Amino acid sequence: MTAARELDELVRVAARFRALTAGLVDDAIVLEDLAKTYADGTEAVRGISLRLRSGESYGILGPNGAGKSTTIGMLGTLVRPTGGHARVAGFDVVADPVEVRRRIGFAMQQAGVDDFATASELMVLQGRLHGLGKQESIARAGLLLRVMELEQVAGRRLAALSGGTKRRVDLAASLMHLPPIVFLDEPTEGLDPRSRSGIWDTLDQLRRQLGITLVLTTHYMDEGDRLCDRIGIIDRGTLVVEGTPQALKATIAGHAPRRVAITQPTMEDVYLHYTGRPLDAGPGYEEINDESRRAA
Amino acid sequence: MSTTPQVLLLARRALVQFPRNPVLLGFSVMPVLMMYLVFGGLFAGVSELPGFPTDNYFEYLAPSAILLATVPGIGNAGVALGADFQSGYFHKLLTTPTSVGTLMLGRLLGDCLRLTVQAALVLLLAVALGAHVETGLPGAMLMIALGTLLGIVTFGALSANLAIRTRDAAAVQAVQPMAFLLIFLTSAYQTTDQIDSGVLRTIIDLNPAEHVLRPMRELMLSGYDWGDIATGLLVIAGLGLLVLPLTARNYRSAYS
Repeated sequence: MTAARELDELVRVAARFRALTAGLVDDAIVLEDLAKTYADGTEAVRGISLRLRSGESYGILGPNGAGKSTTIGMLGTLVRPTGGHARVAGFDVVADPVEVRRRIGFAMQQAGVDDFATASELMVLQGRLHGLGKQESIARAGLLLRVMELEQVAGRRLAALSGGTKRRVDLAASLMHLPPIVFLDEPTEGLDPRSRSGIWDTLDQLRRQLGITLVLTTHYMDEGDRLCDRIGIIDRGTLVVEGTPQALKATIAGHAPRRVAITQPTMEDVYLHYTGRPLDAGPGYEEINDESRRAA
Repeated sequence: MSTTPQVLLLARRALVQFPRNPVLLGFSVMPVLMMYLVFGGLFAGVSELPGFPTDNYFEYLAPSAILLATVPGIGNAGVALGADFQSGYFHKLLTTPTSVGTLMLGRLLGDCLRLTVQAALVLLLAVALGAHVETGLPGAMLMIALGTLLGIVTFGALSANLAIRTRDAAAVQAVQPMAFLLIFLTSAYQTTDQIDSGVLRTIIDLNPAEHVLRPMRELMLSGYDWGDIATGLLVIAGLGLLVLPLTARNYRSAYS
């Protein structure tokens, strides 16, 4: 999907403008016992600690309601933590939210776009709010739209675009200021397989070429497998296990949760092994299973 | 980037966005102009009553029409904010180095500029119908400013708070007809001396909109009454002191 020549140009632009990375610490992201309890008493995140190196690609995996979006929301300064600490690019997410925002891009689960704006206008505004000059914003928007192969929709209003195209525009807008850290909340949720594959290709190339630190949430195991150096599995707001996809799979090779020894484990098997339930079971799985057992 | 350029960028976005929604554009201007023409024609005879301050009813009605443009009109700011919440764009903007206050100010500035144009259209129509602004262009500008400020501290604040609470553009839009009640319960169509009901006169006297409409009408018909202008500004300031902290608190909850 990604246009190679344009990507090379983007790398050159990044080399010229990535002053922010100069001061970037080794640990791009540090979480210490980070927690969030909402006003209604829901404990969405129950004390997560982890460290992400600069340039690393980290996947937060878990089913809907596991606490993935809340975790990434806290790191992106959109959700205020109620416990613990988090530092992004060396800045505390509560004490220095503006400094954090200067150094991150954030593409949301629900593509956050202005339907009345054109793709180009949306990106230029995003760049200008990040402090880019008008001409630089226009040039960079054009370049990123070409990188994402979206130049044909540059002048079209977002209301007229498909969900998948909006997601790509949103992602492109998140890269306008060439941030060293990018958060992606369920980047391919609801997309058809072709669009998913296209976004994966783009993210993979951008990450490798630009050296950005990538944090993504997903409940697609293949997505985590494909894009992430390390994966953390979250269940009920707790980090259950983390490691490289290969290491996680290796820990369960030979186990027999389904009465058949696993010789080529998948991430689904890893999730089942560590949480005791399949990934697609959702938060209410135990309750339903208990009822089934009682009925039997 | 400092706050001021960000506010201007966001105000520009509000101004660009508005005419791209033809329904919003048409229905925020046309009904006011039509009401002005219809009510002006229907009640024209009122101006023949003894003691009425002008013999041109359109002249009397013009300040009320300005309020009809600005008070319900500023509610569109809340509708747009509700739409931004629904689409997720509000949070997208919050991932840039900006603040909730900057986002609010940008939206408000853009909508105030839009309302100024709409109110000016009303005045131009009034002049075309033979009305005369006694205090000239400075008075006309003050009239529009008073009307816009009243809109901000009443339906501007209400719609903004509803937007953050409901995060639903339709819910915000649903309360807009209440704005007409606020304006109709004033001396918008006839002087209070001509209203028989004592209860209604008391309600009108208690209505803050009446204390802003009064100096606006004086600017249109007779000249500067600085005492009434000060009263109008005090009413606006009082309402602002009531609603702005509440609005700020509600918007802080957008980051919770």
